[in-house]
Amino acid sequence: MLKVQYIVGLCVLLAAVFGAHAQDTPRSSDEIARLIESAEPGSTVVVPEGVYEGSLRIEKAIVLEGKGLVTIDGLGKGSVVEIAVGDVEFRGFTIKNSGSTVDQEPAGIRAFQGPVIIEHNRLEDVYFGIDLRPAGDSIIRYNTVIGKELKLGRRGDGIRLWWSHNTIVEDNTIDAVRDMVFWYSEDLSVARNVVTNSRYGLHFMYSHNTTLRDNELTSNSVGIYLMYSNNIHLVGNSIINNRGTSGYGIGLKDCDAITVENNALLANRVGMYIDNSPSSVDSFGIIKNNKVAFNEIGMLSTPITHNNVITHNSFLENEEQVTVHGRGQLMLNEFSADGVGNFWSDYSGFDQDNDGVGDFPHEPRSLFRSLLARQPNLRIFLHSPAQQAIELTARAFPELSPMPIFVDHSPLARPPELDLLVSSHQTSRLPMVGFAAGLLLISVISGWLIARQPCLPVLSDSDLSQRVFV
Amino acid sequence: MTTLPIETSTESTMIESGSHLSGVSSVIAFARREFRDAISSRWFILYTVAFTVLAVAVSFMSLAGSGSHGFAGFSRTTAGLLNLIMLVVPLMALIAGAGSIAGERERGTLLYLLAQPISRVELLLGKYIGLAIALCCSMCIGFGLSAGVLAWRVGGVGISAFVMLVIFTCGLALAMLSVGMLLSVMSRRSGVATGLGLFAWLILVFLSDLGLMAGTILFKLRVQEVFAIGVMNPLQAFKMAVIVNMNASLDVLGPVGMYASQTFGGALPWILALVLGVWTAVPLLIALVIFSKRGSV
Repeated sequence: MLKVQYIVGLCVLLAAVFGAHAQDTPRSSDEIARLIESAEPGSTVVVPEGVYEGSLRIEKAIVLEGKGLVTIDGLGKGSVVEIAVGDVEFRGFTIKNSGSTVDQEPAGIRAFQGPVIIEHNRLEDVYFGIDLRPAGDSIIRYNTVIGKELKLGRRGDGIRLWWSHNTIVEDNTIDAVRDMVFWYSEDLSVARNVVTNSRYGLHFMYSHNTTLRDNELTSNSVGIYLMYSNNIHLVGNSIINNRGTSGYGIGLKDCDAITVENNALLANRVGMYIDNSPSSVDSFGIIKNNKVAFNEIGMLSTPITHNNVITHNSFLENEEQVTVHGRGQLMLNEFSADGVGNFWSDYSGFDQDNDGVGDFPHEPRSLFRSLLARQPNLRIFLHSPAQQAIELTARAFPELSPMPIFVDHSPLARPPELDLLVSSHQTSRLPMVGFAAGLLLISVISGWLIARQPCLPVLSDSDLSQRVFV
Repeated sequence: MTTLPIETSTESTMIESGSHLSGVSSVIAFARREFRDAISSRWFILYTVAFTVLAVAVSFMSLAGSGSHGFAGFSRTTAGLLNLIMLVVPLMALIAGAGSIAGERERGTLLYLLAQPISRVELLLGKYIGLAIALCCSMCIGFGLSAGVLAWRVGGVGISAFVMLVIFTCGLALAMLSVGMLLSVMSRRSGVATGLGLFAWLILVFLSDLGLMAGTILFKLRVQEVFAIGVMNPLQAFKMAVIVNMNASLDVLGPVGMYASQTFGGALPWILALVLGVWTAVPLLIALVIFSKRGSV
């Protein structure tokens, strides 16, 4: 009897173990494919909770819902989800583990035809994230993409659009990828995306007529780089701490009709880089109401750059405010218009008549800067007293002063009030307060401990007379 | 500090049982005496106050208008502090070191000190340690208040970089103190020693950099040459060390900085610390040799 009980018990145990195991066991993604097969076109398929392994190809116009409970694991081979037809909605999935071969460019989600809606998905450990090629009139929003741990240049793009016009790319969060890049895609809406720790936050190639609004680009190599793309509005973006070796907050290369407005460009290697934009003779670039602060270089331009109107910006405490790539001047750009210039934290004039505009033009002349332009290796002496000595010399002997790079005829006397999107990076004060108190305490206590007693041993007179006058 | 610190105190904690003090305790005794002399001397208080006021002022001014962009404000503050440190700290340490032995020698008190049952090496080491602690304490006051301003205005951003700033500044002070001591043992009069100290300050802070700048332009020196020559200057090594700890790279220092970062990578902070270490150890050793060989007082 006892033996029978044992056997029954063992069976129950085994059943329990296997039962539990069966629920955890990843299923094949073919199950999703069969669900789609049996569904009517245009209907909604809710995929049961669980982990599905293998890639999935959608070839029917359908709404696929993961409700945030479905994971599709690509097992490190090829693309994970491919959408081959239009009118597909793909929502609420976790996609992970795509392949990473460069020639195949495997992606987390790749769409070959628009319109598609891809939203509320989380993509982890994927080579490319979401790739539309091409899939116009689509919507990509509220997705999170986290790239593979590869070297910066070896990674894939977080989101890539290829010839996908009229697409909405909003509220996505991208981390550790190469670029979020737009090729040959026009009339987009790109807003409120957050890109961190990647190469180019937002990268436009030959993509015209778009507004980039309220995006946050932090700690990438480059924040926003527009190349050969015309009629783009950059509004209200927050671009912080992008400092790759050739890192820029905003880079403009050969772009016509660009408006850069109300952006915060903070602590980048170069706040704004303008390379021959606008490139057409009759086009203008408008740069206004931006805060350009704490960058190594506030604005860097190639000498050929012309036709930019730069007004009502705040250039605050950039190590170099405005400088030319190589040698030359920026006299073909306007740094003031209709009596309104920019605020310069290094303006040395004053505003005696109190009209908000400085009484002298701002014509920065720095001997050290002009030496830097001649011999870039001298930058090693930045932040040293020798640099100050050179500037002082130039001030004492005006004939040594170089030509100004630009002239702002109406510098603002006060920084303009700008309504900018800047997330605050407040951390706890306690460690710093503790550190400050610690430093003070160390000095006071060690001072007191060392100095409270007489220090030198006292020798008797006889010792003295014996030792000193030998 | 012209009076001898012979005190009729009953405390005798520093006196060993024998008539000859052991090496360590006599070094400690001299260090304590030097520390007391330093912190009660006028020049030292003046430098401390000046450094503190300037450090706090720089912190305030570089944070003016920075608003909530914490780390940005922090690196501005550090950049501002760098210039201040590179001017004031070498001056303070060189003059302190230069005055130490030569001053005693001129006043005749060196005779009395050497009459104590200790060796010349112990005397010099004691003086060095006492002055070093006094200098570090003085700077800790300035940095402490400056850190307080940072904590108040931007929160606890960049605390590890600030810790490294304090540590490297102390390293710079030790190196400059060594040089000052060397000048001091070589000079008979304290005026000469102070003059030499000022001259050394001028060379290290301005002339060597300006010379290298001119050389870079005239001879079109390559990046590795500029780096190799530049890094020999303890002030440049200090500056690079602070920046590399703050930014994890020297890219802000242009092609030369990028060359250094890419060539030496993670070893760069250690190389820079080594430069400061060599500038501390070598002049001090030479000073010890000269001072202990010198027959006369």
